[in-house]
Amino acid sequence: MITLFIAVPLVVVLILNLLPRKLANALSFWCGMALTVISGVYVLTTSQSSWLFGFDPVKRILNWEIVPSDLSAVMFVSIALVVFSAFWVGQYLFSDKNRQFIFNNLLLLCMVGMNGVVFSRDLFTLYVFLEIVAASSFILIALEKTKAGIEGAFKYVLLSAIATVLILSSIALLFMTCGSLDYHTVRACLTSGQLDAGASRFALFAVCLFVAGLFIKGGIVPFHGWLPDAYSSAPTAASVLLGGIVTKAAGVFTLVQLAQNVFGFDKPSPVLLGFGMLSIAVGAFAALGQKDFKRMLAYSSISQIGYIIIGLGSANVFGVVGAIFHIFNHSVFKTLLFVNAAAVEKQSGTVDMDRLGGLSNKMPVTGFTSVLAFLSTAGVPPLSGFWSKLLIILGVWQSGSPTVAIIAILLSLMTLAYFLSMQRRVFFGKLAAGLEEIREADFRALVPAVVLAVITLVIGLIFPWLLGTFLVPLESLL
Amino acid sequence: MEIMSMFWVLASFVILLFIIGIYYLLVTRNLLRILIGMEILTKGVTLLLVAAGYLTGRTNIIQPIIITMIVVEVVIIAVAAGVVIAAYRSNGTVNIRSLRNLKG
Repeated sequence: MITLFIAVPLVVVLILNLLPRKLANALSFWCGMALTVISGVYVLTTSQSSWLFGFDPVKRILNWEIVPSDLSAVMFVSIALVVFSAFWVGQYLFSDKNRQFIFNNLLLLCMVGMNGVVFSRDLFTLYVFLEIVAASSFILIALEKTKAGIEGAFKYVLLSAIATVLILSSIALLFMTCGSLDYHTVRACLTSGQLDAGASRFALFAVCLFVAGLFIKGGIVPFHGWLPDAYSSAPTAASVLLGGIVTKAAGVFTLVQLAQNVFGFDKPSPVLLGFGMLSIAVGAFAALGQKDFKRMLAYSSISQIGYIIIGLGSANVFGVVGAIFHIFNHSVFKTLLFVNAAAVEKQSGTVDMDRLGGLSNKMPVTGFTSVLAFLSTAGVPPLSGFWSKLLIILGVWQSGSPTVAIIAILLSLMTLAYFLSMQRRVFFGKLAAGLEEIREADFRALVPAVVLAVITLVIGLIFPWLLGTFLVPLESLL
Repeated sequence: MEIMSMFWVLASFVILLFIIGIYYLLVTRNLLRILIGMEILTKGVTLLLVAAGYLTGRTNIIQPIIITMIVVEVVIIAVAAGVVIAAYRSNGTVNIRSLRNLKG
């Protein structure tokens, strides 16, 4: 059943390209809508441990056996949500019908790749789907053939090739040690303790290579060089997809899944905590100094991904649950912010924050949803971002590194600082000169913005209830 | 013993290819040559996979993997070449210094 997540979008892309162009142009958007909505609804209604209502994953995580399908459900929903928003924004931004069609096709292909990454149970299959995601992202970044877009795409091509070499070398070394590539066998081989000293050092080297490759794909500082360039130079509709889900599906989620299911990280890992802290700090400070709206959001992504990494590095229940929850939350609010950036760019013609200002009165919905998104990112209480950050910080504290937890909280204030500066320069204050005629974006940008804003608000509000249902198993164990 | 000595021959070639590829990526200023450097690195990885299959004696598993990998690699390099062509058309040069505008 779950293979349909890969097969159906692929078949749809094939059929769309066989149809006459006019018909296909009209159909591609609605096919995308139908696919994303159906896959989202399917995951939420049929999986036994649906993320929102059952909260079974926690129980599984307690026993250190995340059954992949639980983690996958969260990712399938996030992928469907982000691709849904990207379809709307693409429809809104591209005036050329042909470009819209190409964009929709690439979105579907990227969705195939990401669903495959989530679904794969074998290291080599994982590599194949990672490459599908990467190839469609290259084209998406360079889609408009602007100078900046091509530069961003080439930087991504180069670093992604290096990541591929690292990942494949690691796959070869793991095959040498374990003689197989599926997750179960590799896990059994790595954690059983049957390897002699030399072989286990060899395996450790292989795991390090793999993690370094995933760090490049996920844009963790010191490997983040490509990320701000690619996000800020891509057409904004593609930035929605890239910033919302691609780095998380290809880099961070894969890291979480492999760390839990394959490499068996069950002790707090100072390496992950260190890289996470570095990402949080560098991302936050770099975001503070940006003038370009999209570039600032890109650095903010780096900073938020740092939180996911420290949650994973704490290797206890709170941390890992928080990390997974933060992946979902981050894809919701970062997509929302990029949708707002798209609306601002289309209506005003610029993303330079120095030339914007006072848009809140003219674009009330965009302004209001962006306030919700940035409060959620900064971790202000009633919104969903607060709960995931709280869980991550609790986890890090319990894993015996309170300093890291305190620094993470302080740097969370930095998030508030750079987003407040963004709000002041774009939405509040006096209306900038030359923007008197500006109007609210049309419904194609507002639909995803409102949907995502409602999700972040509702999950934040019902979380105390979710907490009640899932703290019970926790208390019985502690 | 026979297997191990063969393995070390393969492994030394892999290391040689990696050194050539990395050196090439570091010194060249030409976008197309960067693609060639990427390909040399990938060939190193392919050879490493061959070595892995040879060492474990599971060539039947590693053969389809290598063929799939070659196909995927061709797709990636075709897309990358497309990006280089677009860069040439917009800048009129394949010098990597023409791609240094994004900063900050």
